[in-house]
Amino acid sequence: MGFLSINLQILFSGLAVGAVYSLVALGFVLIIRATNVVNFAQGDFAMLGAFAMMTMLTALSLPYWLSFLLALAAMTVFGVLFNYGVYYPLRNRSFLPVIISTLGASIFMQNTVLAIFGPQAQPLEKVFKASGFEVGGVFLDSQYLVILAVAVLAVAFQYFLFERTLLGKKLQATSQDKDMARLLGIPVAWMIAITFIYSATLGGLAGILVGPVLFVSIGMGSVIALKAFSATIIGGFGDVAGAIVGGLLLGVVENFAGAYISVAYKDAFAFLLLFLFLLIRPQGIFGEKISEKA
Amino acid sequence: MPLLELRNVTSFYGNVQALKGVSLRVEEGEVVTLLGANGAGKSTTLRSISGLVPAATGEILFMGQPIHRLGPEAIVRLGISHVPEGRRVFPGLTVTENIMLGASNRGRASRAEILEGVAEMFAIFPDLARLSHALGWSLSGGQQQMLAVARGLMARPRLLMLDEPSLGLAPIIVQQLFGVIRSIRQRGMTILLVEQNAHMALSVADRGYVLETGRLTVEGSPDQLLDNEEVRAAYLGGARGATDPGTAPTAAKVGP
Amino acid sequence: MTQGAASIEPAGVRVAAALPVRFIGLSILALALPAIPFLFPVNSYVVNIFMQAATYGIAVLGMTIVLGYTGQINLAQAAFFGLGAYAVALGTVTLGLSFWVSLLLGIGVASLAGLVLGLTTLRLGGHYLAMITISFQQIFDLVMVNWTAVTRGPDGVPGIARPSLFGHHLADDKAYLVFCIAVLYAAIGLVWYLPRTRLGRAMQAIRENEMAAEVTGIKTLVVKVIAFILCAGLAGIGGALYAAGFAYVSPDNFSFKVSIDFLTMALLGGAQSPFGSTLGTALLILLPEWLRFLKEIYLAAYGIAVILIMVFMPEGIWGIGKTAWQKIRKPRTAKMGAVAPLDLDIPVEGQAPALHIEGIHKHFGGVSAVDGVDIAVTRGTVHALIGPNGSGKTTMLNVLNGIYKPTAGRVLVDGQDVTHDAPHVRAGHGMGRTFQNIRLFPNLSVLENVMVGAQRQHNPIGRSDAALRARAMSALAFVGMPDKAHMLAKNLPYGHQRLVEIARALAGHPKLLLLDEPAAGLNQTEKHELADLLKRLRGHGVTIFLIEHDMGLIEQVSDRISVLNFGRKIAEGAPAEVLRHPGVIAAYLGENVVAAA
Repeated sequence: MGFLSINLQILFSGLAVGAVYSLVALGFVLIIRATNVVNFAQGDFAMLGAFAMMTMLTALSLPYWLSFLLALAAMTVFGVLFNYGVYYPLRNRSFLPVIISTLGASIFMQNTVLAIFGPQAQPLEKVFKASGFEVGGVFLDSQYLVILAVAVLAVAFQYFLFERTLLGKKLQATSQDKDMARLLGIPVAWMIAITFIYSATLGGLAGILVGPVLFVSIGMGSVIALKAFSATIIGGFGDVAGAIVGGLLLGVVENFAGAYISVAYKDAFAFLLLFLFLLIRPQGIFGEKISEKA
Repeated sequence: MPLLELRNVTSFYGNVQALKGVSLRVEEGEVVTLLGANGAGKSTTLRSISGLVPAATGEILFMGQPIHRLGPEAIVRLGISHVPEGRRVFPGLTVTENIMLGASNRGRASRAEILEGVAEMFAIFPDLARLSHALGWSLSGGQQQMLAVARGLMARPRLLMLDEPSLGLAPIIVQQLFGVIRSIRQRGMTILLVEQNAHMALSVADRGYVLETGRLTVEGSPDQLLDNEEVRAAYLGGARGATDPGTAPTAAKVGP
Repeated sequence: MTQGAASIEPAGVRVAAALPVRFIGLSILALALPAIPFLFPVNSYVVNIFMQAATYGIAVLGMTIVLGYTGQINLAQAAFFGLGAYAVALGTVTLGLSFWVSLLLGIGVASLAGLVLGLTTLRLGGHYLAMITISFQQIFDLVMVNWTAVTRGPDGVPGIARPSLFGHHLADDKAYLVFCIAVLYAAIGLVWYLPRTRLGRAMQAIRENEMAAEVTGIKTLVVKVIAFILCAGLAGIGGALYAAGFAYVSPDNFSFKVSIDFLTMALLGGAQSPFGSTLGTALLILLPEWLRFLKEIYLAAYGIAVILIMVFMPEGIWGIGKTAWQKIRKPRTAKMGAVAPLDLDIPVEGQAPALHIEGIHKHFGGVSAVDGVDIAVTRGTVHALIGPNGSGKTTMLNVLNGIYKPTAGRVLVDGQDVTHDAPHVRAGHGMGRTFQNIRLFPNLSVLENVMVGAQRQHNPIGRSDAALRARAMSALAFVGMPDKAHMLAKNLPYGHQRLVEIARALAGHPKLLLLDEPAAGLNQTEKHELADLLKRLRGHGVTIFLIEHDMGLIEQVSDRISVLNFGRKIAEGAPAEVLRHPGVIAAYLGENVVAAA
């Protein structure tokens, strides 16, 4: 393969993996904006989505499209449970109990799945039987193409929801000034529940998409979560566009680093980048300076 | 029956008792102003009415119905619109979007009806019409205040509560703002106005109350309150009417 | 007095009064425990479990310091534990060093790592700190697994030998267990004693209210770094003992999951108490053994348990016990021995004004909160700053205090330029402050709150605990509250809390006292008492600069008033003139701008 096509290959798969990070990061950022909660269980939504999909597809032998819809439906239920079980009881407490609770939720989700499915990593079917096709020396894996396509659709849907519907405006208002939103009659508790449901579904979607690539395992969520955190910080903490750009950037950088520097430490680059950004530029690429108030 | 009535309301702000038994009333069509120095409890009074801070004891009646146990979402649906201190426009949303959200208490309103309402607001606030696509954070203080009032009016309230609208605004803007308040009043809106700027408030009000550390001390018409020693004392300390024979108060004194 | 006095609860247990009975009881228990394996037949499996509990317990005590005392989150404890373990493993097996040298190496490396993470708290706290520690943990994991040349990767390091102690080779499991328990006890003792020291109090102050701690004179960054170093060091010790105990280590033993385990053990037992965290460790190691038949459900329930603990018992089991105990016990009153009168005398140093605000500007984005203000405050006077809402008063105070850096201008205290000094440095120069919405350390006793004030750098008193205590009691006596010394600050009524805040500032022997709306929320009687207090302070030569809205109070106590409006000074002078000044009246009451309506 020529120099260009090798790098395009790396770029392509980097973008695809990055798109998965972006989807999880997006859900993560929406929760932060609406509730100021940093949800350390965000990655596990991806894990749940993948397992749900696998159950429908393999255990219940349902057709792909039906399994997909049912898996997403399951994610909305999980979102509701998360909202009322983890966020709601602690909504007025300081950040420490909340962080710890989301960690607890993560442990719970992972161990419940472990109890049901066992520790073995499982394969998940791709959307298309065809493995992909080649263009100019670059092999475009069909699943990667699906990931990118769905990610674009998801971002478009996100844009449409938030910028063009009244509901989206109410969601934005809730994140920008919760008490003022209440004063106008916006049902804030319900807006937050919707945010959790939406984020859980986004996470689940990411898991369903990446499952065929990474294998479905209990721990897949933890790794993706940390990458998503890195993406949000790099892009700009709390910034929606930042989460998307950060995710793509991270996927690409990680892939190139893995190819040229070290495969074994590929995962470490995300954390290293996170570390560096947190120390040098915590507001990320797009974020505003974080200042201390008296 | 007064539109709004408070009976002996007490209220706490954390550990501190902010209101110590406040009783007042607002009749339909009136503009009533609550005056007092900073920390007197004016904002707490409005927040108790709109449900952000529940009243500890006492009653709040709106059109004869008790509302002191309801939450803000329910109270705004009943027809009380609270434009809080500090303007609080949604910074990341446009002027139009901010105004549209003002109708959130009217669940049944269709998008068309809401847009009609927006057009009405633009007629009352022509400056805002010019800025319809500008984001909230980019507006000046005066424009934000106009936006906040427009947003409050979108709820089609029976009672509009304005909390320190002149705060931080230059005098000329304050003049414009109070011009708008006057025109809203002329359309028959009932307004409860909290203001530090006593003179401006009294220029537009039918009646006024003065709050001092959580208690009402004086009540009266603007004529009675303007240039009243009691009012000045409430803000800047100094002679109390009771011991100073030179200033016999003409306004009614409230409470002990 | 204001209403709403909550049930009066005594502060944390004091050493002196409770020492004999509890100490004896605990000692018996403590000595009995390690004797058990020798007195009763126990199989080696049980001994192993206890060995794990003991070594984990040491690491969890580290969490008590950093999380329980200092309030900082740390999700890399397993990495520190692992550094200690691998130091011993690689040190003894690969490098052939003795156990003791490797142990020291392990402690050193772990502490160094703790130092680095601690330094990150300079910029960040809260969620960011959580992420930094998680990423450190993950990097550690990856390096341990992949740097096979050094760490031997996933295969781990087998064959770690036991150490010899005083000539005895601790090959016998039971003997080694006793050794581990002894180290655990030593660690418990250290961690138990810590809150009674200057450093321990400083840590707790940071947990309770970091900004107030900084302003009161605590070097918050230094204390947080020390907390991390101690935490990591303890984890390193635990890890080292673990390695020698089990003779084999692999990266699996030190993963992120184990960090979560450490965290949960601390939380379940009670992060703020060494006994609590040890209890939590024991429970979480022993329980799964007893409940092994429930293993799968147990693991899942683990996660729910964490959530439930956070919702219903954030202070852990020990915390619940302590609260119940405090309700039963009679409240303790302070022994009112001789309390020395508070020394507030300030040596006069030259002619400079006590405080000189020189051309201060403070902009936030496009908004000019303070727009060029000059004020000179004469030594030993009370100088008030007033102005309508939004005029820039609190911003000014925050600039004086060091919480904001001014956009332009200088702040001089006694002629010394403090414009770029951190708040705790200014406290060290004798600047005391109270806050508009009272910032006490709610879960510390009144006395501890005030002692923190006495701990400021360059305070002209002795450094011993007794000196701090005496100074604090004098300050409390000055404000009239010596009998409340052992009450928890959060249980005091509002007016009393205000006085404690002032006492805390006075304990620091301030040259200059900055008061932000000290009368806010006080009733008439309390305001009179406050006015008297301020006059007494002035009598002692303390310079007072205050923001206030209550004009009655201001008229009573102020020598001079400066008035701000829209960030500028519009009037300055004696109270009588300023409060009658037409410009000032107009600023407050507003102008009638409508010419002829």
